Parts: sequence; structure tokens; C-alpha cells
Amino acid sequence: MTNHQSVGIVMIEDDEGHARLIEKNIRRAGISNDIRHFTDGTRALQYLFDDAQGPAQNGPALVLLDLNLPDMSGTDILTRIKAESSPLKRTPVVVLTTTDDAREIQRCYDLGCNVYITKPVNYENFADAIRQLGLFLSVIQVPEVEA
Amino acid sequence: MILGFAALAITGLVAVRAFQAARDHQRWLVHTYQVSGAITRSGELLERAENTRRGYMLTRSPVARATYDRTVSEVADALGRVGRLTVDNPRQKRTLSEVRTRVAAVLAEEAATNALADAGRQDQAVALFRRQAAALPFVPLRNALSHLNAEEVRLLGERAAQVQAAVRRLTIASTGVAALVVLLALLSLAIVLRYANDLTRKDAALRDLNDTLEDQVAERTAELARANDEIQRFAYIVSHDLRSPLVNVMGFTAEVEAAARSLAEMVDRAEQHAPDIVTKEARLAAREDLPEAVGFIRTSTQKMDRLINAILQLSRQGRRVLTPEPLDVAALADGVVRSMQQNIDGAGTEVIVQRPLPDMTGDRVSMEQLLSNLVENAVKYLQPGRPGRIVVSGHEARGRVHLAVEDNGRGIAPADHQRIFDLFRRSGAQDRPGEGIGLAHVRALVYRLGGTVDVRSELGQGATFLLNLPKSLDIA
Repeated sequence: MTNHQSVGIVMIEDDEGHARLIEKNIRRAGISNDIRHFTDGTRALQYLFDDAQGPAQNGPALVLLDLNLPDMSGTDILTRIKAESSPLKRTPVVVLTTTDDAREIQRCYDLGCNVYITKPVNYENFADAIRQLGLFLSVIQVPEVEA
Repeated sequence: MILGFAALAITGLVAVRAFQAARDHQRWLVHTYQVSGAITRSGELLERAENTRRGYMLTRSPVARATYDRTVSEVADALGRVGRLTVDNPRQKRTLSEVRTRVAAVLAEEAATNALADAGRQDQAVALFRRQAAALPFVPLRNALSHLNAEEVRLLGERAAQVQAAVRRLTIASTGVAALVVLLALLSLAIVLRYANDLTRKDAALRDLNDTLEDQVAERTAELARANDEIQRFAYIVSHDLRSPLVNVMGFTAEVEAAARSLAEMVDRAEQHAPDIVTKEARLAAREDLPEAVGFIRTSTQKMDRLINAILQLSRQGRRVLTPEPLDVAALADGVVRSMQQNIDGAGTEVIVQRPLPDMTGDRVSMEQLLSNLVENAVKYLQPGRPGRIVVSGHEARGRVHLAVEDNGRGIAPADHQRIFDLFRRSGAQDRPGEGIGLAHVRALVYRLGGTVDVRSELGQGATFLLNLPKSLDIA
């Protein structure tokens, strides 16, 4: 658990409410990792790749990605992160979106998304899914140790 | 036309009459010659009798006497014959009786001289003869005979005129008949031609109509498909964007609920430890108002979520790629029935797939969804107390496949026949689970396949859903 602090969570979510609910549930699960929240794709990409504090320059991260963004589609960001030349291609990406469309889910997995979570209106399921993210954070330790 | 044939018949009758007249004339001609011959014969015989009398008077030869007697009897015969032949003509009868009188007078004179000659008083006989001859008794007789003859000839002339008239009539009639026949033929030809023209024109008009109808149908179908596409896209966007805020409502409702729970606990604790700080309002809010509000928000959002999901599902169906393939509809229907066999058995229903069902080229998934929706509805809405009987049947006509799903269930009031195909609309007693999606889905799907769906039903009398689909799915 000591290394948990070093894994930053990058949340790209345009809906403030969703962001708040996600954060609340992450905290409730006992995960105290730093969460950086972005409401648009452009600034999120800038942080991910170019910011000195960002995961490309500075340590591992977990990306929580919404597919519906005002300036671009979440799949564009996913493509960028998972591209062959990307420094972040091993960064786990959890796609969180309202769509449970099978084709879109398939597409996300094809692009390299690690987990796909549908934001269900059934809140308990959603909260459970978010809390499962704690398991993910422990998995991320491995690349960090190697690095 | 009828008038024409009547005229033809009349003309025919006239012709027949004319022929009869001609034949009659023939008979009258023969008759006239017979009469004429008999008259001439009578005249000759009278002349001969006179000659033999004179011969006997001079020679007193018994041969001459015998010949005279024979000739006289022949005269009677000949006149009798004339009488028989002219018995129908009163004028001839009159003339003949005059002739007979004169003949009788002449014969009486002759008999007088013969009697004197018989008695050997030849001189007296000759003297008597001279006296008689001076009166020229033969002149009026010959005149009378020639009157008789002239009358016959006149009658013949009259009859000839009649025949000529008849022949003229016949000619006219024949000409008339010929003209009429030609006219009728022309008339018939004209009528036949007009009918034929009419038929050709109507046929062409029908073909035109048919062609434009096909175009119109194709146009309409394309329009429907376009409208359908638009609605699908719209539905997708709307449902997607509606879901986002709903997640918040639901999520924060859960938060409020959790907060309300801890507040309620606090109120409970406060009541135990310091009852005076708990107001009636606080108690009510924590124990009743908040949970109740949360409950209502929750059921409403859940319902909204189901509806949005339904729209989303519908829109997703509309975006699915159709893949036409040859389908054995009967086997497909069997598969559909098999897949819901448990439901069917549970409802005590029998489902009959009536063979033969037409084959078609279509999208398998769509066809399965259509039939399964319709059969499912039929199983779902049975008339209580009546064992369900559902029949899937079909036929093919002019490049279209008609399928029918008929049940003996509770039926649908005619006022609801259009409504039931609308999204979220349902009919009858709301005693079955459902959101009113199935038939909306069916209609959207059918439109997409270039078909139509219709319902025939009366309340309590069962319902028949009719699908009209292209025999061969054509993806534009």
C-alpha cells in the first residue's frame, strides 16, 4: 500500500456531477491516490503527455476516461494513449461512459482499453464498479517497480 | 344492334314473301295458259262441230253425224274444263255463262238442221241453215270466247305486274338486306374496334398507373426509410444525452439517501440523549419526508432509465446492418416458437406454424425479432379462460410476402389500432409487464425492411397482425 500514493488518477470527465460521484466512490473504497480531474480532452491530453507532473514525465497513472467530451471523442484520447509510439501505452485506461452499446465497447477494447464500465442508473452497481478500481491500483505497482 | 338485327329479320321475311309471290305467279302463268288453251280448244271444237253439221247437211253421211255428236260432247267437256278453271273468277263466270247460252243457241240451231237432215228433208234443212247463217250467230260467240281469253290475258298481265312488283320488292329487300348486313358488319366492326381500343387504352392506363404506383411505393418507402433513419439517429443522441443527467440524479439521490440515513440515525440518538433539541419537523423530515422523496425520485428515474434504454435499443436496432440471405421462413418461425416454448407451455397455449410459408430473401435477425415480438405478444395477451391458439401463416403475392400471426386472445379495440405501434403506448388492461416497446420496434423494423405492418382485431375477439414484406430484401 505504500506505493499507492505515487499512482496518480487522471479523470477525464466533462460532467461535474459524474466526476464528483466517481471521486466520492473512489474515496469510499479507501483509495486516497491523487485525482486530477479534466473536463475536456485538450487539457487532459496536454497534462498526460506534456505536463512535468503528468504521467508521461512523472510516474504511473490510471486514466478514467469518459467517451463523451465536448471537444473530442474519448476514443481519440484512448487511441493517443495506446498508440505504439506512446510513452503511456502501458497505462491502464478505464472507460466510463453511459453507452452500453456492444460495438462501442468492442471498439474501446480493440483500441486497448483495460476496463470498460457503463455508468448505470443503478447507482449501487456503479459504486461497486468504481470501488473495484482499488484492485487495479495494486496491479499497477508492477511497472512502477520496474521503472 | 338489336334494331339492326330486327330490320335484318324483317327484310328476310319480305324476301321470303317475294319468293312466294314469284312462285305463285308461276302457277298463275300455267293456269292462264291452261284456261287459254281450254278456251281455244272450245272455239276449235265449236268450229269443227259447225263444219261437220254443214257436211252432214250436204252429204247426210252417218260418219259426219257421228263425228258431230262426238264433237258436241267434246265441246261440253272443253267448256266444263274452262268453267272448272275459272270457277274463282266471277267475271269469267259471267262471260262463260254468256258463252254457254250462245253455244246452247248455236247447238240448238244445229240440232234443228240436223233433225231436218235426219228426216231426209235436206232442202228445208239448207233453207233453215241459210236463215240461221244470215243472223251470223258465230260472231258474238267468237267475241265472247275472245273476251274470256282476253280476260285471262289481262289477269296474267295484272299478275305479271304483281310479280314484277314482288320482284322489285325482293330486289329492294335483297339490296336492303345486303346493305343492312354490310351496315351491321361495319357496326359490329366499329363496336369491336371501339372495345378493343378501349381495352388497349385502359390497359395502357392501368400499366401506367401500375408503373407510377410502383414508383410511388418505392418513393414512399424511401421516404419512410429516411424518416426512420432520422428518428433512429435522433433517438440515439437523445437517449445518450438524456442518460448523462440521469446518472447524476440517480447517483446524488443515492447520496441524499445515505445522508438522510445518517441524519435519521442522528435524530434517533438525539431523541435518546437530548429529546428537547429534536423538533417535530426534524423528526418528520428525517424519518418520513426524505425517505419518501428519495423513493419517488428513485422510481421515477428507474422508469425514465427503462424508457431511455428502450429508445436506445430501438435506435440501435435501426442502426444494425441488415444482411439479406435466403430464409426458410417456416423453419425460422419454428425456431422462434422453440425459443419461447417455455412461455408458451406455461400459458397453456398452442402455436401452429401453418405450412407452406413462402421463402424469402431477408435479414434473419430482423425476421426473428418480428415474429418473436408478435408471437410473444400473442402469448402474453390471451383472453382469460380461453386456451390460446396462435397461428402463423403466410402467402406470397406479386413479389411480396404476407405473413400473419393470428391469435384468439383478448383483442385490441379498433380505436387503439394505430396507437399500439407508437413507442410507450399500450392498449387494454395494464396487467402485464412491459413498456410499450415491442410493437414500436416491430413497426420500425418493418419500415426499415421496406414493408408494412397492420392489425385486424376487435376487443375480445383475438387479433391478427399482418406483415407485408418484400420477397427479396433490397438494401439501398
